[in-house]
Amino acid sequence: MPEPMIRTNRLTQSFDGVIAVDALSMEIAKGEIFGFLGHNGAGKTTTIQMLTTLARPASGTATVAGCDIGTDPLAVRRAIGYVPENVRLYDTLTAAENLVFFARLSGVAAPERRVNQVLDLLDCTYLAQKRVGGFSKGMRQRVGLAQAILHQPAVLFLDEPTSGLDPMGIKMLRDLILRLNTEFGMTIFMNTHLISEIAKTCTSIAVLSHGKLVYHDRIEAVTARYGDDAALEELYLSLTPVGRLAEVA
Amino acid sequence: MSDVTSPGWLIARQSARFVLRESTVALLSLMFVVLVLISAWLGWSATSTVNHIYLDAAAFLQSAGQPVPTNPVLDISPLSLMRNMSVYVALIGALSAIVIGNRLVGLDRKAGVLPLIGIRPLGRNAYAGGKIAALAGLILGLAAVASAVAVATFLVLPAVTLTGLQWAQLAGFMGVTTLYMGFFGLIGLAAGAAARSETVGLLLPVTLWLTLTFIFPQLTANLNPTAAINPISALAVPPDTTFFHWAARLLGPFSLADAYKFASAGLLDYLPPGITSPSFIPPVINLILAAGFALAIAWRALTRLSMAQGDYNV
Repeated sequence: MPEPMIRTNRLTQSFDGVIAVDALSMEIAKGEIFGFLGHNGAGKTTTIQMLTTLARPASGTATVAGCDIGTDPLAVRRAIGYVPENVRLYDTLTAAENLVFFARLSGVAAPERRVNQVLDLLDCTYLAQKRVGGFSKGMRQRVGLAQAILHQPAVLFLDEPTSGLDPMGIKMLRDLILRLNTEFGMTIFMNTHLISEIAKTCTSIAVLSHGKLVYHDRIEAVTARYGDDAALEELYLSLTPVGRLAEVA
Repeated sequence: MSDVTSPGWLIARQSARFVLRESTVALLSLMFVVLVLISAWLGWSATSTVNHIYLDAAAFLQSAGQPVPTNPVLDISPLSLMRNMSVYVALIGALSAIVIGNRLVGLDRKAGVLPLIGIRPLGRNAYAGGKIAALAGLILGLAAVASAVAVATFLVLPAVTLTGLQWAQLAGFMGVTTLYMGFFGLIGLAAGAAARSETVGLLLPVTLWLTLTFIFPQLTANLNPTAAINPISALAVPPDTTFFHWAARLLGPFSLADAYKFASAGLLDYLPPGITSPSFIPPVINLILAAGFALAIAWRALTRLSMAQGDYNV
């Protein structure tokens, strides 16, 4: 059996005594588009922060692309790309200047050429010479995605990538994610709230509730068992604590 | 040719470029350079005026058959022409250094790019080293401009010729100046990295600068605020009271503006005889220790800066 691209073993994080991620253990195979579901504050972003080496886990271990996040963070960083929920860039620089800087930091040879390639790939060469300060959320998201794939990472982490996007932007992003997965073989780890997007994009899903993993399976198994999108939503809601539902209502 | 360079160097180069685009930094740096030019002009102007008066007086005395005294310009060290520079360094130079240090890390935190930097294959040490290298480069740049102005002043003044030792003393003064500005730059960098908000990150080092420049000299040498920034009056003998005796003993080693002024006065030959530093630590050693301490806290603050939670808006 091939080595999983992401493996966590009792990964735990807490802030001021409150457990944010509770002994998370799971495996994600190479080439998967993994959808990570959970309510606000469930621990999805914290999990991404640990897997991208932005934050150290309180306990537990994890490997990404075969590299240990605790003992070999630099190797992990070489293998990953990351798009945060709100893409923030140097507003006074153009998109191309921002991307060249991040390409250089990632050790990309001939960064200017690579930036042009990536902007072309994402159909946004028209943004290259514009200052980021005036960009819409969708434009930022595209540049954010561009900075994440400059160095052709094996794993791409996306934190709520469709948050704040209009339907056109969501479709564009979905198409890009599928393309990166099929054409470049990137494993994609995606935090999201949009259940409809999970069904259209993901090959496997997991549900996190109050830091605990409450469900993890391949999407075919989920749809075979629960049926269409509406049933998927039912599944998600059934896994979300009653107290939390009351809070939302 | 490969375009790949070390991440620390990339951080240093990019940070310096970003900071130089900041209008506040550019304005303060420009003001510092202008004041350095003014200090050189003041020294040149004062010397030229005295020299002209002497030459007129000497011609008059000669024509009247009177004995001609020696030129007073020759009685003082030509290096003392630069004494005003130490005042401007203590004021605007230190303030510029604080703003440069603060913005070097504050720009990343304000832009919100720390997570995007944090996931690149560079260690926290490379990030910290890059920021400190950028600060060193910018402070050295300012010191180099000030040095160029000082050297040009001495080269164009016809009545002044420096000996080899005096050139070395001038170099020493510029070294001490770099050290002093470097201390404040590192404090600005440390506060910029450690403070939760942008405002506090700037206010903390500015408060320290105000304390060291205006308050401590009064306690350690009983100076009034005007004298505290004047290189000559600031070296007045403190009154012999128990309070000032102990204040000088306890606060002397921390009174860095005093240490800088004493070191400058010694190197530029304008230290009045019989005047000694209130600190039991020699002024230059005092400045080296302070810069070393500031380097340590800046390093600690930068290497502990959270790449996930370090942005100002988090």
